[in-house]
Amino acid sequence: MSYIKIKRPKFSILDKVYVVELVKGLCITFKHLVLSLLGKTPAKKEFNGKGVGACMPFPEQRWDDRLPEYYRGAPTLVRGEDGRERCVSCQLCEFICPARAITVTPGEVSPDSGCQKQEKAPKEFEIDMLRCIYCGMCQEVCPEQAIFLSKEYLITMTDRKNAVRNKETLYRLGGTRKGLVNKWNQYK
Amino acid sequence: MFESAICQIIFYVFAALAALCAIGVVAFRNPVASAMNMALSFGFTAAILFGMGAQFLGIVQLIVYAGAILVLFLFVVMMLDVKAEEHSGLMPMVVGVVVASVFAGIVTHVALHLPGAQDGACPVITACENIDALAVTDEAKAEKPVISSTGFGGSLPQLDSKAANLAANPGMSPEAAAAATGYPDIKLLGKTLFSQYNIAFVILSFALLSGTVGAVALARKIRKD
Amino acid sequence: MMDAILNWCDNLLENDIWFYLITTVIKLVLMFAVILAFVVLSVWIERRVAGWIQDRPGPNRAGIPLTLFKRYGSKEKQPLKNVLHYFGIPETCWIAKLCTWLKLDRDIPTFGLMQPCLDGGKLFLKQENTPSYVRKIYFIIAPMLVLGPPMVAAAVVPFASSASTCWGDINMVVANIGIGPLWIFAISGLSVYGITMAGWSSNSKFPFLGGLRATAQLISYEVAMGLSIIPLLMMFGTLNMQDIVSNQAANGWTLLPLWGEGLSLQRWVMMVPMALSFIIFVTCVFAEANRTPFDMAECETDLVGGYHTEYSSMKFASFFMGEYAAMVIGSALVVTLFLGGWSIGFGADEALHAWCDWVAVICQFLMFIIKLLAFIFFFVWVRWTLPRFRWDQVMKLGWLVFLELAVANIFLTAAVLYFIK
Repeated sequence: MSYIKIKRPKFSILDKVYVVELVKGLCITFKHLVLSLLGKTPAKKEFNGKGVGACMPFPEQRWDDRLPEYYRGAPTLVRGEDGRERCVSCQLCEFICPARAITVTPGEVSPDSGCQKQEKAPKEFEIDMLRCIYCGMCQEVCPEQAIFLSKEYLITMTDRKNAVRNKETLYRLGGTRKGLVNKWNQYK
Repeated sequence: MFESAICQIIFYVFAALAALCAIGVVAFRNPVASAMNMALSFGFTAAILFGMGAQFLGIVQLIVYAGAILVLFLFVVMMLDVKAEEHSGLMPMVVGVVVASVFAGIVTHVALHLPGAQDGACPVITACENIDALAVTDEAKAEKPVISSTGFGGSLPQLDSKAANLAANPGMSPEAAAAATGYPDIKLLGKTLFSQYNIAFVILSFALLSGTVGAVALARKIRKD
Repeated sequence: MMDAILNWCDNLLENDIWFYLITTVIKLVLMFAVILAFVVLSVWIERRVAGWIQDRPGPNRAGIPLTLFKRYGSKEKQPLKNVLHYFGIPETCWIAKLCTWLKLDRDIPTFGLMQPCLDGGKLFLKQENTPSYVRKIYFIIAPMLVLGPPMVAAAVVPFASSASTCWGDINMVVANIGIGPLWIFAISGLSVYGITMAGWSSNSKFPFLGGLRATAQLISYEVAMGLSIIPLLMMFGTLNMQDIVSNQAANGWTLLPLWGEGLSLQRWVMMVPMALSFIIFVTCVFAEANRTPFDMAECETDLVGGYHTEYSSMKFASFFMGEYAAMVIGSALVVTLFLGGWSIGFGADEALHAWCDWVAVICQFLMFIIKLLAFIFFFVWVRWTLPRFRWDQVMKLGWLVFLELAVANIFLTAAVLYFIK
């Protein structure tokens, strides 16, 4: 078997005694301490922080406008541009969910929804936010592009019952998604 | 009188506890429980030594026995996960009883032949009073006993810190010695150990050192490569 | 009536035994209060300094919210206005402005000092979970054995010099015994039982390994630690901590011999072995207190949580507090032996004593506290600078480097004491 011999760095005696290097390290950390106490931490401006160090004091200052596109917050259900419930209650998300946070109760699609080709829609769709781990598997697996992770991260509740989000809440949070999914309409 | 009574009560309480824990060492079936009892027994013995004013001996008892040796014991017992022993026949019991009674006989014999034991007096005080008879060398004869039997009148000896301070610090004035608090047992011990028994001490140290080296040599694995 | 009580107190205090008992109890209470306060404070220092070093503020909230005083207003309304209104003070008054400037309109700021107290409260109220497979008795005893010894060990640390009263002198150390440092070694060495017991009684793999590591580490470093202070004892010629500190107050601290007899050639040459001693001793104190470069016993990366993995609630808190108490005691020991203990230095002690005993004692006590805080800061500083050592490195350092260095140091000191007069 071939192997690669790792080149270890050569240490001088001064390095081996360790004390000098230790003092150097202590100086570095002390510099950081003094700078952050003086409010002159290098990255401070970039973060627009007001307190000590390069930190945003959370409830007063927020990171919201800098959240990346791919941020994974609370999962929500969306409607299409045509106002149609995209979810067809195939229960794939329920199946894939590693934390078993999702419970889907399948039901018939209501006749007055104006969408004849789609047969099923969820009667109830519940996500237990105490179980959800924000992994995004449901979004990944959904064949209908119906469930998306939003950028909502402040998920607090005073009661375990409040942690379960029902269908109505999920649609309210999700809103309408741009772009047509031409699967169940006349174009297909 | 008051101090003396407290000293006595503390002595007997701790002595009883130490004896109780010593019995526990043998009586418990679980080896870890036995080891913990032994640690407690060492602790109480140290407490007795503290109560007598021999602080250095007490602390050495704690550091060496309770702090190091017994921890290693415990270490081994836990590592090997020694299970609680089970009853196995009459034979070990008989052997145990015989050995225990032999040791008990020896201890009783020694206790009965301590100086003054027949008259019901404290052996240490009696020994101090007759120190000339007990002294091995002339040098020791010249030294004054550092324990006085007067003052408290109890059956336990009381340490005379003034005389001891004078003995430990040759240049000290009697007034300073009387004012000095505490018993200079470390100085006395050091002096005795490194002057009177110096050769024995060095020989013993070498014996221990060779023992350590031998243990390392035996335990060391010799690598083939 | 008053005279009778005072007379009775006077009579009581004139009795030597009662005087001794009463002063000792007062000193004990003071010492315990200081240590427990410092345990809490050092947690706060740890978290604040860790924050600053990592460019964060650290715990700076947990103020006392004024909304607690609901009597003066609901949560929505600013309480300060209501308070001001209640007392009839106009809002443009300087008091109101001062309160606003101090941010008193929201919280009473405590700079995060309330945080450790609240954490302690939380730990008290948490659910206590004892796994079914543990060895119960030892499982319960272990946390006590960890927290107890450092508290007892503190008894021999002097926190000020002596003060005279009309009934007799009070020596500002709880137990003025002739074996100071040995007492601390012996008693804090006993805390290894707690850690071993915790590891063993948890009856699970990682705690057990943590316990074994702790035992091996503590025993190894105790040897080097004991040997490293022998040069110091050779120099001072006593084991009594109060005498050691008095000597330093008169003749210069061990590491700063700038006054008294400290200006002699011998003392300056002695700085070499003393510095060596200091380095070895401080490192050993780190190892004994299980602090970060040496926190083998609880290193998360290999051992989950170490010996206290199975513990929850207040039992876990006892381990946590035990670690910080050991740190406080270690700092106190280093300060006492090497940095002059309570002495203010530069002859200020004698001058203050000549002026007023009690002022001197209070100043010395404050000085001791300041030095202690500085050294606790050093502990924390090192923790957030150094990565954790590997296990074999720790053992190598203890047995192959420090032990030899400490023994050589003893010979060096003896040579200095013998040849340089």
